Amino acid sequence: MSDGKGRVTLRGIDKHFGAFHALKGIDLDIAPQEFFALLGPSGSGKSTTLRVIAGLETPDAGTMTVDGVDVTYAEPGERNVAMVFQNYALYPHMTVEQNIGFPLRMDGVPKARIPELAREAASKVKIDHLMQRRPGQLSGGQQQRCALARAIVRKPRLFLLDEPLSNLDAQLRLETRVELKRLHRSLDVTTIYVTHDQEEAMTIADRMAVFLDGDIVQVGTPDDVFNRPDNLAVAAFIGSPPMNLLPARFEDGAAIIAGERLALPPRSAPVPAEVVLGIRPSHVRIADTGIPAKVVLSENLGESMLINAEVEGVPVKVRLSEMRPIAEGATIRLAFDGGHVHLFDPQTRRRIA
Amino acid sequence: MARNPHQAARLRRGIVLYAVVGLLLFVWAFPIFWAVVVSLKSETEVLAYPPNIIFEPTVRNYRDALVGGFSILPSFATSFIISGLTTVLTIMLAVPCAYAFARLRLRGKKALGFYTLVTQMVPPVGLVIPYFLILNRVGWLDTYQGMVVVYLTFSLPFAIWLMVSYMEDIPCEMEEAAFLDKANRFQALWHVVLPQVRGGIAVTVIFVFLNAWNEFLFAVQLGGNDVRPVTVAMYNFVSVEQTLWAKLSAAALIAMLPMIIIGFAAQRQIVKGLTVGAVKGGGRR
Repeated sequence: MSDGKGRVTLRGIDKHFGAFHALKGIDLDIAPQEFFALLGPSGSGKSTTLRVIAGLETPDAGTMTVDGVDVTYAEPGERNVAMVFQNYALYPHMTVEQNIGFPLRMDGVPKARIPELAREAASKVKIDHLMQRRPGQLSGGQQQRCALARAIVRKPRLFLLDEPLSNLDAQLRLETRVELKRLHRSLDVTTIYVTHDQEEAMTIADRMAVFLDGDIVQVGTPDDVFNRPDNLAVAAFIGSPPMNLLPARFEDGAAIIAGERLALPPRSAPVPAEVVLGIRPSHVRIADTGIPAKVVLSENLGESMLINAEVEGVPVKVRLSEMRPIAEGATIRLAFDGGHVHLFDPQTRRRIA
Repeated sequence: MARNPHQAARLRRGIVLYAVVGLLLFVWAFPIFWAVVVSLKSETEVLAYPPNIIFEPTVRNYRDALVGGFSILPSFATSFIISGLTTVLTIMLAVPCAYAFARLRLRGKKALGFYTLVTQMVPPVGLVIPYFLILNRVGWLDTYQGMVVVYLTFSLPFAIWLMVSYMEDIPCEMEEAAFLDKANRFQALWHVVLPQVRGGIAVTVIFVFLNAWNEFLFAVQLGGNDVRPVTVAMYNFVSVEQTLWAKLSAAALIAMLPMIIIGFAAQRQIVKGLTVGAVKGGGRR
């Protein structure tokens, strides 16, 4: 068990790779024992952030502290962090036992103790029957467990996972996700998890940071990020499909779209005359009256229907729980659930609370 | 005939292929075959014209080449010492150099890499005189250290160039994982990288040893009576008055033997060594 530490603080972390500005002044606070996800599309800086935390990249500017100690320029080995790489980075010439035991060997643990400790870690991820195999003789899932065991054997202060599930097939990914969560609970170690899969981040993380173009655009719980997106960037990224975003006018507590008035609950902040209205596809209904929309395509998703429509040329997606095929080219009327409507300021691009 | 045109075409292609391969093989192997034949003849038989197809084979030439007055055995030992030392030193220096080229971000890496390749393009004959003058000045003519240093000048760039491609094939993440596990750079190289490039090291050892063993140009100019590799010693059988063709052939075949043995034993590695980099998987950054 860890000693209850593992608070990570990043301040103004900046990183260039040649002309590419990978991280644009990242600030981040991760609490002890938190399961924290770094979510973003590829090239958004989430993996670079993880590598800075690991000490594999040195930032151009900014500082990083762990439990109040500045480790910005500390070597990876001095940080007491363990990492699972996307491709697992197992040593192909060593057995599972030797792979898991390698960190102990480097740490000066007496040779006689290593097999026992390695087996202990392996049993936590249920591969203790494979100790004498080599990575090449393991399945993808077993390799991943071997990498996990190598990471937990040393009882690190931080546990870093770089897209650990992306090389597994869909079924195994779901199982492993649950197991990772369980492992995190039993280890009680601050865990930082990089993923581009928002469903993964949503289900597994206590809190998450959403990365876009080298910046963090929102930090919060999955509930915050999904239900209260801070800004247009997050609104357009989170959700599958993401939120519909429609330009609208705001008058007397109501939004006006395509000439239709939509009454909204009052806001605490002042609302400008021009806004962007955001609503999730599942909060749009087809009604007898409402905003006129032209159907472009209806997709059968099995459990639901996804209607792709256009309101004055702006694409709008509607998720219907009942299977109701709608002819392409038909005009339908859309009703928005006022309580689920978000308003964004097109100037600042921020959500209006 | 039940054969369809497709099969017939394939058969024709097969015949042509075998004919071409057979011809090439014949051209390549004939001199060796001829050396074997000559080495089993007596010196007078060798000069018979037209050559006798049927003759009484003798092993006298081999005996003379091994234990006669012009025995090549001491030179054999000399060649072993020179080739062995060259190989050991080359590997000891080339492995860290290749690692640095493959992994470290160092200033002037490109220029150094280019220089390393350029040394392979200089015709050796252009270097004989400078080397001779330099070794003469430092008193290293006809010494082991002189020969080994000269051989290092061409084996080292070659070995570095070969090893780099092996090292680049190892994903960087493996070393990064080792660094996170508290390994320092040397430990990562020793425990993680080297075991994975064993095949590459084997290939490099073989090529460097082969090149050093077969070297003649520098050996004949920079060696002497004390340090005379086997490639030069064979010329004991060539004099102004006569050439002892049968003994020369026997000596040449004996000198070839270690290379043939190594070649057979390491055939697979050698082919792999020649094709490495052709299907490169990893190795960015």
